[in-house]
Amino acid sequence: MPGGGAPCQTNRLTGMSRAILAEVARMLEALAADGTTASIDLRSLPMTDADREQLEASLGRGEVVAELEIAGRSTVRETAYAGAWWICHRGANDRVSSEEIAVCPVPEILASHPADIESAALRLKEDLLENHSSQAEASNG
Amino acid sequence: MADKNRKHRPQALKTQQTLGDMLAERGVSRRSFLKFAAYTASILALPPTAATAIANGLAAARRQSVIWLSFQECTGCTESITRASSPSIEDLIFDFISLDYHHTLQNASGHLAEAAREQAMEENRGDYLVVVDGSIPLKNDGYSTIAGISNRQMLEETVAHAKAVIAVGSCATFGGIPGANPNPTGAVAISELTDKPVINLSGCPPIPEAMTGTIAYLLSFAGIPELDHLGRPKAFYGEAIHDRCYRRPFYEKGQFAKSFDDEGARQGWCLYEVGCKGPVTYNACATLKWNGGVSFPIQSGHGCLGCSEPGFWDLGGFYKPLSAAKDDALKYAAGAAVVGAAAGAAASMAVRAKRNKLLKAAQAAVSDSGKEEN
Repeated sequence: MPGGGAPCQTNRLTGMSRAILAEVARMLEALAADGTTASIDLRSLPMTDADREQLEASLGRGEVVAELEIAGRSTVRETAYAGAWWICHRGANDRVSSEEIAVCPVPEILASHPADIESAALRLKEDLLENHSSQAEASNG
Repeated sequence: MADKNRKHRPQALKTQQTLGDMLAERGVSRRSFLKFAAYTASILALPPTAATAIANGLAAARRQSVIWLSFQECTGCTESITRASSPSIEDLIFDFISLDYHHTLQNASGHLAEAAREQAMEENRGDYLVVVDGSIPLKNDGYSTIAGISNRQMLEETVAHAKAVIAVGSCATFGGIPGANPNPTGAVAISELTDKPVINLSGCPPIPEAMTGTIAYLLSFAGIPELDHLGRPKAFYGEAIHDRCYRRPFYEKGQFAKSFDDEGARQGWCLYEVGCKGPVTYNACATLKWNGGVSFPIQSGHGCLGCSEPGFWDLGGFYKPLSAAKDDALKYAAGAAVVGAAAGAAASMAVRAKRNKLLKAAQAAVSDSGKEEN
């Protein structure tokens, strides 16, 4: 391999963030009009670091920030535009595994899944029975 | 990962359980499925809204038996898929499959290893996946054997009752480096030796997400993803590196590095003139990148080698621009640098079409010479 190396030139604006903002605006209009939800996959877009910073700054921060610990950290952050959410999932070594802007009232990943609720109900019932038995044994002993 | 249900963990994994039930018993919540599905939808270039369908499909699927065969290869493809250093969302794929045979990773060796392969074939007849890395030598069966079984024989008997075959790496998909001129072993691609559906995941090695994403797709949608004319999933091989390269604007402006240490290289200009094969290489390196999304060769200052294209090893030199390649067809790409993107795309298509024709002719010639020697 030839000597020397090229620096990573990712500090230039390409106009991508403006295009994404226009798309988010259209999606918000649709959500307000008839409840249509939509998402933009940010990882699939050839954005430079500068584009990304511009996009984040333009969307700003809203009232809600949620952190999830699911096989790595995930953050769900409302932007300054209600209904537009910035969702970032991280995997091994805190690296970003997927990142999207979701346009919806509440991102699906925040809601508890019916299967998990069913399991939780069963678990709590079992824990209560177990505690009750332990207490009964302690008071008898 | 959620750990609240750990006390319900079963002693052994039950293959008849759905993945949803199996992982719930291990304390893995449905949110984990949704997170994995969001990751999978992203790497498969599906709309993020497809994540729910993927999560539901995975939760309802059964654990998939996989037999991994390694022939004339360097184990780089296995290194690629097992690259993660700590448990993470990307590794959930290893909970979704039962890797019943992989002679590099499994504990068993010798006859016991082969018995594991035979048992998996018997117990999952018609329903197991075969993953193959490495090419098959046709000039002499003795060039590459495992437990005394030739590569060709092992492939034929293992794929006979498989649901589908995934060829990973440029050796299994196109003959790769073992098949490079003068191809001393008569190496051929897997697809030339079976009538089963073969999904080609080319690259040296393939991007790990191409492997895990394809398996996740097979499990979620119980079908084969849309493939290109070389049998590769369009989600990963549908666009040229060049089309998604962040240096593309410099190409459009005619700003090229002339060497690896000139001002153009320092400015991060297009690497076309120092041999980048991005315009004729179809892969997802520019978007998925490598090492968990850290970088890819062009971002690190080196041109694309074209490793996911047929015969990349024999295409005229890694540091020669496409315009100086020995093959006349490749010279079409030179025009791309001069006349711009539209002409560039047309030139790339012309290059690919002609190159594939030439490679097929070359492979036929090798095949004929192999038959004569045998």
